[in-house]
Amino acid sequence: MNQNRYENVPNKKEVQIPDWLLKKEHYIPKSDKESFLDKSILSFMRIISKIKTQNLETVSIYQMNVTLKIIATLFLIITISWTQSFSFVIVLFVSLLVILCLMTGKQIAGILAVSTGIAFFTTLIMLLSFFMGKSYAGIFLIFKVFVTVTTAGILSHTTRWSDVTGSLKNLFVPDIFILVLDIALKYIVMLGDFILHMLYALKLRSVGVNKKKYVSLSGIAGTAFIKSKEMAEDMYQAMECRGFCGEYKRQKRSKFSLVDFVCVIFLIGTVVLFFYFERI
Amino acid sequence: MHIPDHYLSPVTCAVMTASMVPVWTYSIKKIKLELPKEKIPLLGIGAAFSFLFMMFNVPLPGGTTGHAVGGTLLAVLLGPYAACICITVSLLLQALLFGDGGILAFGANCFNMAFVLPFVGYAIYSLVKKHSKSKKGETIGLVIASYLAINISALCAAIEFGIQPILFQDVAGMPLYCPYPMSISIPSMVVPHLLVAGVVEALFTQAVIVYIRKVSPGTIYQEQKEKRSGIYILLAALICLTPLGLLAQGTAWGEWGMDEISKVVTGGTELGFIPKGMEKGFSMQTLFPDYTFQGLPEVAGYILSAIAGVAIIILLFKIVSAFRKEQ
Repeated sequence: MNQNRYENVPNKKEVQIPDWLLKKEHYIPKSDKESFLDKSILSFMRIISKIKTQNLETVSIYQMNVTLKIIATLFLIITISWTQSFSFVIVLFVSLLVILCLMTGKQIAGILAVSTGIAFFTTLIMLLSFFMGKSYAGIFLIFKVFVTVTTAGILSHTTRWSDVTGSLKNLFVPDIFILVLDIALKYIVMLGDFILHMLYALKLRSVGVNKKKYVSLSGIAGTAFIKSKEMAEDMYQAMECRGFCGEYKRQKRSKFSLVDFVCVIFLIGTVVLFFYFERI
Repeated sequence: MHIPDHYLSPVTCAVMTASMVPVWTYSIKKIKLELPKEKIPLLGIGAAFSFLFMMFNVPLPGGTTGHAVGGTLLAVLLGPYAACICITVSLLLQALLFGDGGILAFGANCFNMAFVLPFVGYAIYSLVKKHSKSKKGETIGLVIASYLAINISALCAAIEFGIQPILFQDVAGMPLYCPYPMSISIPSMVVPHLLVAGVVEALFTQAVIVYIRKVSPGTIYQEQKEKRSGIYILLAALICLTPLGLLAQGTAWGEWGMDEISKVVTGGTELGFIPKGMEKGFSMQTLFPDYTFQGLPEVAGYILSAIAGVAIIILLFKIVSAFRKEQ
């Protein structure tokens, strides 16, 4: 149709603008609830940025042997949960505070935000015991929780995840487990990025009220799954092409530095103190 | 000089706290304006120093004990406003965690040690420094300032104690709170401080200034090398030395517990009663009363308290400085 109209006036230079283009539009898209989209975008962004910044940040003071660090963390958590002595927990609490002092303000805030938050919820749960007059047990438990979460927090804030998977090999964790963990950690970022873009696309294309938005969400999940399957297959094939036969090997031998000796001494001290306090 | 709860009437406590509020707000405003961001952790170190100083109890004549505060030192190093906030933080920690100094009496303690002490000390120091520009003059100014400031602060505490029996009595005319009038409280507080605690404060101040001048001159003078590691070493050394404070047995004047007060001897006579307002008053259980831990020897408990106090203070100021950078 349009073509015919232009063919009728071949010699005239002026171009006619179609009427519908000249009409003023009065379309105002109805506002739609987008809180769930915004929320999921935000939470994806948060997780991805966390992993990405973790890779960039160099943690200077914590050049500790990662295997030792994991062992120390597990050991501390076990002794804390085992002990019946409040003093032992307090001694560990104070030593963790000293370790925290060596870190940057933002890291400290990040670790303490989590542990105080969890300690606060423990307090809420333990409120009943306070009213029943058993405040000692309550405070003991709150301290235990706080110290345990802080220990784990220090590990996760001072170690790159890729280093953790590497050191698992030293701890005799089966290769297949390391493979899964390693790939999962890498793909959380990539798939997260992928999903984030799809969420943006959904947001851009939903003009006005889009009732099918919730249905699209399941579409995003499905697409992400298919994509992940493709990517995983591609990567595994690429790894096989480069000679991967399901076995992880360590490239460099881990060294033992001064910090590690300090840590070992600290652990021995903890053992001595643990038995000292259990005896009382 | 830490006034415990019950020794001052709640009205006195309220008045003292109210008088501290403008001081705190103005100090924080001043710090925000004048102190560069990277110097905020230095405030934490200052507060940690003051916390440690107060753990070194020295025996005073009359069977009581006293301690240095380091108010003038901090006022000279960081300025009086920063010193005020530093000492306030360490007093708060002592009150909340270790039961040293009362919760209700927090305002009064801050008035004596965090307001009067650093500001008087700084004023005297700058006055002396103005008149003699030499390095010797600076040293003499520092000694005089720190000696006088802690004595004036002790005088303030003594006056707060002394007005209690005049203002607050029960029907029978017995004192409700601190039972000693000014005629007893002022000599008991000020004389030992004049003789011993003032000297200790002056010595501590001078020694730390000399050390910092040598190790990290940038902390005092601008455009010179600032080395925090030296200061951290000094902190660690002070922590290791804190058990020395345990050598001084006896309770500081005006810091007796409820079990002790009726047996306190003044001028040859025992007090013989517990003032009524003190018996039934607000009392808070702190986590580590009197810097002790259950199941730990006294010395270990004292060192652990010192480490915990210093660590908490440093953490606090590190977090504050981290969040200020974001703005």
